[in-house]
Amino acid sequence: MIHSKWFWPTASIFILLLILPLFVPRFYVYILALIYVTSLLAMSLNMVVGHGGMFQFHHGVFYGVGAYTAALMLTKTSMPMWIGFIAGPIVAALIGLIIGWFCVRLTRLYFAMLQISLGSLIWAIVYRWYSFTGGDDGIHGIRMPSLLSSLNSSYYFILIILVLCLITMYMILKSPFGNALQAIRDNPQRCEAVGINVRRYQLLGIVIATFFAGAAGVLFVVLERSVFADLLFWVFSLEIFIMCLLGGWFTFLGPILGTAIILTLRTFVGRYTEYWTLILGIILILVIFFLPEGVMGYFQEIFKPRMKGMVQGGKTIDAAG
Amino acid sequence: MLQVEAVVKSFDDFMAVNGANLRVGKGEIVAVIGPNGAGKTTLFNLITGQFKPDRGKIIFKEEDITQLPPYQICKKGITRSFQIVNIFPRLTVFGNVQVAVLSHQGRSSNLFRPAQSLAVKETKDILEIVGLLDKEKNIAGSLSHGDQKILEIAIALGNEPELLILDEPTAGMSPEETQATIELIKRLAQMRGLTILFCEHDMDIVFSIAQSIMVMRHGQTIIQGGLEEVRSNKEVQEAYLGGE
Amino acid sequence: MFGPAELISQLLVGISRSMILFIVCAGLSFVLGVLRIPNIAHGTLYMIGAFATFSITKMFAGSAGFWIALIVAPLLVAVVSLVAERALFCHLYEREHLMLLLFTFAISLILGDLVKIVWGAEYKSVSAPALLKGSISLLGASFPRYNLFLILVGPLVAIAIWLFTNKTRIGKISRAAAVDREMVGVLGINVSWVFAIAFVIGCYLAGVGGALVAPTVSITLGMDHTLIIEAFLIVTIGGLGNMWGALVGSLIFGITHSFGVLFWPQFAIVFPYIAVVIVLLLRPKGLLKSVW
Repeated sequence: MIHSKWFWPTASIFILLLILPLFVPRFYVYILALIYVTSLLAMSLNMVVGHGGMFQFHHGVFYGVGAYTAALMLTKTSMPMWIGFIAGPIVAALIGLIIGWFCVRLTRLYFAMLQISLGSLIWAIVYRWYSFTGGDDGIHGIRMPSLLSSLNSSYYFILIILVLCLITMYMILKSPFGNALQAIRDNPQRCEAVGINVRRYQLLGIVIATFFAGAAGVLFVVLERSVFADLLFWVFSLEIFIMCLLGGWFTFLGPILGTAIILTLRTFVGRYTEYWTLILGIILILVIFFLPEGVMGYFQEIFKPRMKGMVQGGKTIDAAG
Repeated sequence: MLQVEAVVKSFDDFMAVNGANLRVGKGEIVAVIGPNGAGKTTLFNLITGQFKPDRGKIIFKEEDITQLPPYQICKKGITRSFQIVNIFPRLTVFGNVQVAVLSHQGRSSNLFRPAQSLAVKETKDILEIVGLLDKEKNIAGSLSHGDQKILEIAIALGNEPELLILDEPTAGMSPEETQATIELIKRLAQMRGLTILFCEHDMDIVFSIAQSIMVMRHGQTIIQGGLEEVRSNKEVQEAYLGGE
Repeated sequence: MFGPAELISQLLVGISRSMILFIVCAGLSFVLGVLRIPNIAHGTLYMIGAFATFSITKMFAGSAGFWIALIVAPLLVAVVSLVAERALFCHLYEREHLMLLLFTFAISLILGDLVKIVWGAEYKSVSAPALLKGSISLLGASFPRYNLFLILVGPLVAIAIWLFTNKTRIGKISRAAAVDREMVGVLGINVSWVFAIAFVIGCYLAGVGGALVAPTVSITLGMDHTLIIEAFLIVTIGGLGNMWGALVGSLIFGITHSFGVLFWPQFAIVFPYIAVVIVLLLRPKGLLKSVW
């Protein structure tokens, strides 16, 4: 791996990001950390949608479940905080297993609808259960372990976890399982014919992705020290979708790029106008019309003309029925 | 090896298959022929599990496989190529076959080792047999139609099947490609002892390699037998009057 | 605990709310059936209908404003949708469904903020016209007149839609296009215009729903987001593209919600979601046959 041509550029970027908090204002450190957290979520969504070809329209639920699990365990129980951190992804993956088990029996639109309904059910319960979850106020002022008490230490923690998760995701995607998942995306019928139990693989893919989404949720709590019911609302889930799309969802790192662009734009546009949603909508339309492969996909097309005949605006998601 | 007994399948009100019988012996090359709409592809879909028959049984190596889902039927030793090209367009040629090989080796759920170093020899062997080794790094979707149909067969070989089902393997091919494919099928039967079941519209191909021929019409089996038997059968001649 | 009068009254409240949901969902279902796209902006168009009703009612003194709004607001919504369709949407029909769906999401974002720009962020409210104000006594409980009005309007709209799709030429062509758009094209009919008309009619119904709901709730930003999820779920449990399915789904949704209000007010909104989950688990393709 050390000899791969990507190693030194990647390592240098990593080192740069590590030392950044030392000479950059607090605000930018916070934004970067938020980008890390959200891009982990976007990467986990991409695993299911871009690489798995499934219509995961309410992925935000698992993010929210992970965040709320950690928050509730930290505030309502006296268990060690690290247990709350581990519980987040595990509970998210469990919910992912349950919801996923019902959804993988269906295709495309019905998959999406069932997931949206189950996810909205969870949202509705969290939103209304004021006494337990804080309802639409959410939970605030969550105390962190002393190791993570400052913004900088949170930043490092988040960055390290992000990198570990990315490495794991990369290994999984390059493994035979990852190959099979992408094959299922392109042609599930063919996969059945070569002996792959499509539903079981899809379910496993969902569980892995929701595990990472839950992890991202825990990181959110570490950064913000609070949780909101909005994390579980479907609009947020679709915003993550947009980040994946903008970055390029057939690529590995595309979602990170998409998240960085959207969050950076949102922060800086937000200084001049309160109509960020309008701008987001316009960006989305521009992407749909002119950049359906996303930013990263566009660059890939330029640098790898051999792939050009194949990369056609995500058409294969449709064919994967 | 394979027995299909009186299977019936209808879609809403349309009787696609209405009493089809088939016997395939080990090591044989068997062809299914019939006019368009006779139900050949539906029959193949029933055997490989894409559909379940309304009535009837399908027995493979003494085991009743009628109700099994496609991926289990594959594990039992039956694989197929599809009439309409059904490959993984975004993967490389190598990747296409590798998916099947890894699945056969039970390695598909392996999460931790990089896939590109696994099952390389077996995959390359298959590509060599079908003659696609020099194109292994090409993206499958960019291959010519004829090569894609050969890739279909290669993928089906990845699972080391005992019974290989080919649905119109030479459809849409040029005469040279067709000839090469016929040679390939003969080679596969001899070298690997594969049992082959196929269907074709081109009678020359059928008569040059098939040992046993089953004729279908309107979803029913008219007859199954050797070349001469079938050629001289009155019903068969009727079915083909004005046909192929 | 609750007497029969209260139960029936609550049932009727549920039904009246279902009627608004039905009108909106019929529009969504119609578009879904013909164009095969779930229109996320449908909720935002409904919201525009409500806000437009507010503005129009304010322009005219007395009750006339509401009746005028009932006619004009949906037309306004229809115009907006026509513009969006001809300018942008129709160029995307060849693309895969996911892109179209995301496009409708983008439109909902844009229109949502445009509403904020035009009308501001505070709550608005509209009062019912004099004719429909107040309540009448029904079976010993008092029942708002406006709700009675809704219960009458719902079936009228249903009949109108039925007549349109079954008796008019355009309606029949739309139904055919829903099932087989290629055939319709082969018959020499301009499919693109069929889509445009179907889309505009569907959005018009969203506007009608928005106008009708205006006197019953506070008109706020964000009402589009809550509504569209409900509408999607109703359309799915009813059967995609099926108007009667939209009716059944709306009734299930509205009635479970109103009984939720009666029995467990804090979690009232959870009841319809549970009902939806149960239906989808048992009949994932919906209760009635989908159009395709």
